[in-house]
Amino acid sequence: MERFSGHTTISTRARLLAVAVAAAGMTATLPASAADAVNQERLLNVEKEPGNWLHHHQNYSAHRFSTLKEINRDNVKNLKVAWTLHLGGIEGGGIWSHGGLEGTPIAENGFLYVTDGWGSVYKIDAHGGRGVLVWKMDPKTDRDWAGAVACCGVDNRGVALWGDLVISHTLDGRLLAINKETGQVAWQRTVADPDKGETITGAPLIVKNMAITGVAGAEYGIRGWLAATDLTTQKEVWRTYTIPGKGEPGSETWKDSNNAAASGGGSTWVTGTYDPATDTIIWGIGNPGPDWDSAYRPGDNLYTDSSLALDATTGKIKWYYQHTPNDPYDYDSVAENVLVDVPGPSGPQKLALEADRNGFAYAIDRTTGKFVWGLPFVKKVTWTKGLDPETGKPIEYDPNKAVQTYIASVTPSRTNMETDICPGNMGGKNWPPTAYNPDLKLWYIPVIESCNRIKVEVMTPDKLKPREFWTGGGPSQPFRITGSVTAIDVTTGKIAQKMETPFPNLGGMLATPDLVFTGQPSGEVMALDAKSLQKLWEFNTGGGVNAPPMTFTVDGKQYVAILVGLGGAWDKWFIDSTPELKKIQPGSMLYVFAL
Amino acid sequence: MMNFNSFPAAPGMLLVSVVALNFSIGTTAYGQSAQAPASDPTNAGKAVFSKANCVGCHKWHGNGGGGYGGDALSLRKTELTRDQIIEIVGCGRPGTGMPFFMRGAYDEVKCHGMNRQDAGAQMPPEGGTFLRPKDIEAVADYVIAHIKGAGEPTYAECVTFFSSTSRVCDVYKTQAQKPDDAPASTGKGQ
Repeated sequence: MERFSGHTTISTRARLLAVAVAAAGMTATLPASAADAVNQERLLNVEKEPGNWLHHHQNYSAHRFSTLKEINRDNVKNLKVAWTLHLGGIEGGGIWSHGGLEGTPIAENGFLYVTDGWGSVYKIDAHGGRGVLVWKMDPKTDRDWAGAVACCGVDNRGVALWGDLVISHTLDGRLLAINKETGQVAWQRTVADPDKGETITGAPLIVKNMAITGVAGAEYGIRGWLAATDLTTQKEVWRTYTIPGKGEPGSETWKDSNNAAASGGGSTWVTGTYDPATDTIIWGIGNPGPDWDSAYRPGDNLYTDSSLALDATTGKIKWYYQHTPNDPYDYDSVAENVLVDVPGPSGPQKLALEADRNGFAYAIDRTTGKFVWGLPFVKKVTWTKGLDPETGKPIEYDPNKAVQTYIASVTPSRTNMETDICPGNMGGKNWPPTAYNPDLKLWYIPVIESCNRIKVEVMTPDKLKPREFWTGGGPSQPFRITGSVTAIDVTTGKIAQKMETPFPNLGGMLATPDLVFTGQPSGEVMALDAKSLQKLWEFNTGGGVNAPPMTFTVDGKQYVAILVGLGGAWDKWFIDSTPELKKIQPGSMLYVFAL
Repeated sequence: MMNFNSFPAAPGMLLVSVVALNFSIGTTAYGQSAQAPASDPTNAGKAVFSKANCVGCHKWHGNGGGGYGGDALSLRKTELTRDQIIEIVGCGRPGTGMPFFMRGAYDEVKCHGMNRQDAGAQMPPEGGTFLRPKDIEAVADYVIAHIKGAGEPTYAECVTFFSSTSRVCDVYKTQAQKPDDAPASTGKGQ
């Protein structure tokens, strides 16, 4: 831990003194820590403290919707930078020349908790219209070890709060519990193993005294899982693999003789959601490996490319819905499932919404796992003619086929070794989160309007090596890629608006009663009208926006915060599709706006 | 003169065979067996290998390999000579993702007989840093001495490369056990 005590203003001195006292071992006597303790009651009722942002996705349903409206459609044009703070973590490591910022800040009682790509956690005092660093916890991530098997950047998407702890992950596979007052590591536990190609980039989901951890690494031949750690005993409560073991239900969907399931992918690197009414965790599952040589792994490859519902207490699988069986495109279904309740023809519908990398947005009945509606949210889809209106499966899906070909002329395969796909393999939407306005029933998707080119490599078991890519080919970028914000009316399952942008949306969304906020990798942060998506305000940060905005209050005043620092997969793998972004410099900065 | 027909059209992909490349560089002497092994006594070449981010695609071990951004050539299996490596590091490989690292390449200095205009769409990307001729020779010497022909990466090579406390090399201690030998269900408790 590093301490910063060089500030001498009257307004911060008392607070720094308190921190110093806490560090001296008197934490238990400080009334502040009891008042700030985060418990399940608070996590379930975040609407009672609208000035805070306690969950990674704002609430358990991943709405990323704030009821705060001091900043609104009428005055957002007056939004200005309130303060900024330079962070660190842009150093390279492994195959990466630099890190970036993809995190969502957590806000509680005037303090922000943010991370940089290497997993350093920063506690920032936002009182008094300025940001003062209280502490920084550097987990000393093993950069060469983890960075060499991070497919898609030096990334960390944020922390969670529990009790008097800040819960965070590191790229090299650890779960950390940090004392919220002092920034000292209370305890840590190894959850993922970079020796197997496993890394962690997502924020933890806290449910009933457990931290739920997802894993990345499908491009390196992992077998994906979700793991629950008891935050009192520090022990694992359950670990559920996203690829069934031999003889388990679903294992029959791996029909090969290569033991492909053992390295079959199914990552879980985007934080999921929780439905307390049924004690169900709903989590998006990534694609099968090897990515593009689907003939190596004939069968539907469950539970890859699925939305997976698990009993939160036991980790037992309740239901699944698979979007792209036997995926030959790298169309992860790793995205967050947004939980919404809308009026239906026969009573209220309890839906899970997911904007899939395959270019389709899905509404699933989250009680049964059955398909309700789906539609393309990108401008161009070439791999399928559409979804079956009953089942939601791609029309060309044939359950009797071991290797799906969909529209065979464009689908990567051993007989179509080089082909162009739309959306491109980064997907119509990648990890950047959607937002949902429950008043307007509008769901805002940060879209990558894309095509790219896939070259297939035929894989054989001897090519599978620890910590080496297991992709069965690779993409290239002969086409320009743009973006959009696309709003879907959840009551009709139709697109309500689309606001096109020159660059892909690599940051994600924030919704407020009459606005949505988002950014561009070319540097702009913007506010749009919630209904028309007309741009009402814009500020150029001078860096690349690669993280979602959020909002909070301090002493009754509303702020909008966003991390700025282009990193991630785009910079290394997809930059040729957006040549202007080559000019964007690595950076690491927190921007906070207010009226 | 280079024969550009031997390079794939897709930028960013490096799937062209080593043999085709060697035939395409007509001006350079062919036949690596006659070459005396070079060395890298001051580690200058290794430093360039890291600084110029060769590791970003070829990896620390030089084996490259297929992946998200295409397929970087294996420097362990390469048949390129020292002179050919120097030329490719300086000029890049037209039509592929291999960048050029020589200041002024394709502008003040023609590469493969071409300037920027001649190269057109085949123009390779510019490296993240420019290297002096001495640096380019050093990294070529390093590749020849420590990577080319080295077989599969070993633990000893890895710790020599990193000389740090990173666990990046641990996996090579247990290389004998391949992940596909592992049981499908490994249970909990890592």
